[in-house]
Amino acid sequence: MAYVVTEGCINCKQMDCVEVCPVDCFREGPNMLVIDPNECVDCTLCVPACPEKAIFRDGDVPVEQHQFVALNEEMAEVWELIDEKGDVPADASDWSGRVGKFEFLQR
Amino acid sequence: MNQTEPLNIPTYQKEDFASDQTPRWCPGCGDYSILAQLQRVMPAIAEQTQTPRENMVFISGIGCSSRFPYYMNTYGFHSIHGRAPTLALGLQVSRPELMTWVVTGDGDALSIGGNHLMHCLRRNLNVKILLFNNRIYGLTKGQYSPTSELGKRTKSSPLGSVARPLNPLSIALASQATFVARAVDRDPKLLQDVITQAALHKGSAIVEIYQNCNIFNDGAFAHVSERKSRDDNTLKLQHGEPLVFGRQRDKAVVLNEQLQPRVVATSEISESDLLIHDTSRDNSGLTYALSQLQYPEFPVPVGIFRALKAPTYEERVHQQVNEAKRQKPATALQQLLDSGETWRVAE
Ligand code: SF4
Ligand code: SF4
Ligand code: SF4
Repeated sequence: MAYVVTEGCINCKQMDCVEVCPVDCFREGPNMLVIDPNECVDCTLCVPACPEKAIFRDGDVPVEQHQFVALNEEMAEVWELIDEKGDVPADASDWSGRVGKFEFLQR
Repeated sequence: MNQTEPLNIPTYQKEDFASDQTPRWCPGCGDYSILAQLQRVMPAIAEQTQTPRENMVFISGIGCSSRFPYYMNTYGFHSIHGRAPTLALGLQVSRPELMTWVVTGDGDALSIGGNHLMHCLRRNLNVKILLFNNRIYGLTKGQYSPTSELGKRTKSSPLGSVARPLNPLSIALASQATFVARAVDRDPKLLQDVITQAALHKGSAIVEIYQNCNIFNDGAFAHVSERKSRDDNTLKLQHGEPLVFGRQRDKAVVLNEQLQPRVVATSEISESDLLIHDTSRDNSGLTYALSQLQYPEFPVPVGIFRALKAPTYEERVHQQVNEAKRQKPATALQQLLDSGETWRVAE
């Protein structure tokens, strides 16, 4: 089991999740964060912290977002650890709540 | 079971040790990390010790920590307050082939269960004790515990605790525990390593785990768990390695002429003056002194303090019983009752 960051995070990156995670398992990509499933301890704390409601338990990820389970696992190996809130993208609010952002994901 | 026959145990995954129950601690509680790290190392422990899952038992007392057995897909007891070591003793003596764990907290193990803990340790029962120390009573919502700091304000000490805290590892060492270690919930690698070493140890193993209760005592161990500061504030104990610490490994713990520990810069002393950590020291004052080091004056030692080989309690019990049986073949019960110091009371 692990928690998974989904589409809502793309281009929003508020990073409140990073501040609360007790075991530093977020990894930072150019315009999205993922959770390292091998580090997540399922403590659930990041779920309510995420303003985009982008984090789900792997078993509860909505069907249309299923590709994010594998994506988190894959990018966690590549992207660097982030344990402190960085700069929120300037246009984050423009992207907030939008659907169909997957095509904008940068790796 | 014939213990000499090699068991063909299955290859387990982490998930095989997770039960169908959803863990219920407060979101962010350090207990989640302890559970996850334990489940991660269990497959390797099972393999190395050739212990199948059905031969593993987790026994707990009362408190937040003690919910643990519900979440492990092994056997388990959620027992009575402070008494987990007593159940472990009965079980381990009658079924020595089991791998028995006790999961307890600072309240359960050191308040009501202090007595049982001490005797379990001195007997060297083959049991692995995980003591989650969060320095507070969490389940009852925030009263001071035996490990709460002097002056700590809690619901039951609104003006600050006037009691000096207990040091679990000093007690464990003084009780002659054969394996004594400390780990931190937020340092997964260290926690996994220490749990594995405890599991492989034969005899009483106690691991104090600094555990953040983010609801009633948040940040109690921030000085040792924060990624930025932990290398400067902890002393990683490694057998055969010098007592050196710091991000640059430029500080050392040494003893002065009065045998009092102090911190020096490594540049100020010669290499031969460094103290080398030795987990096989038996009744060493140095190991005890290490357990007494307190932040901020000293770094907090983490890792394995002591690991000694010694016969276990159950080995001694069975040896004694077998020997007695060999020397004196079975006698009728009535004969036994009538033997020795019996007499008739005059009517
Ligand atoms: S809080 Fe949510 S949206 Fe923001 S970076 Fe974290 S996961 Fe992404
Ligand atoms: S569930 Fe807990 S451990 Fe997992 S990513 Fe969220 S905050 Fe971190
Ligand atoms: S009260 Fe504290 S120790 Fe208990 S579950 Fe909540 S955070 Fe964890």
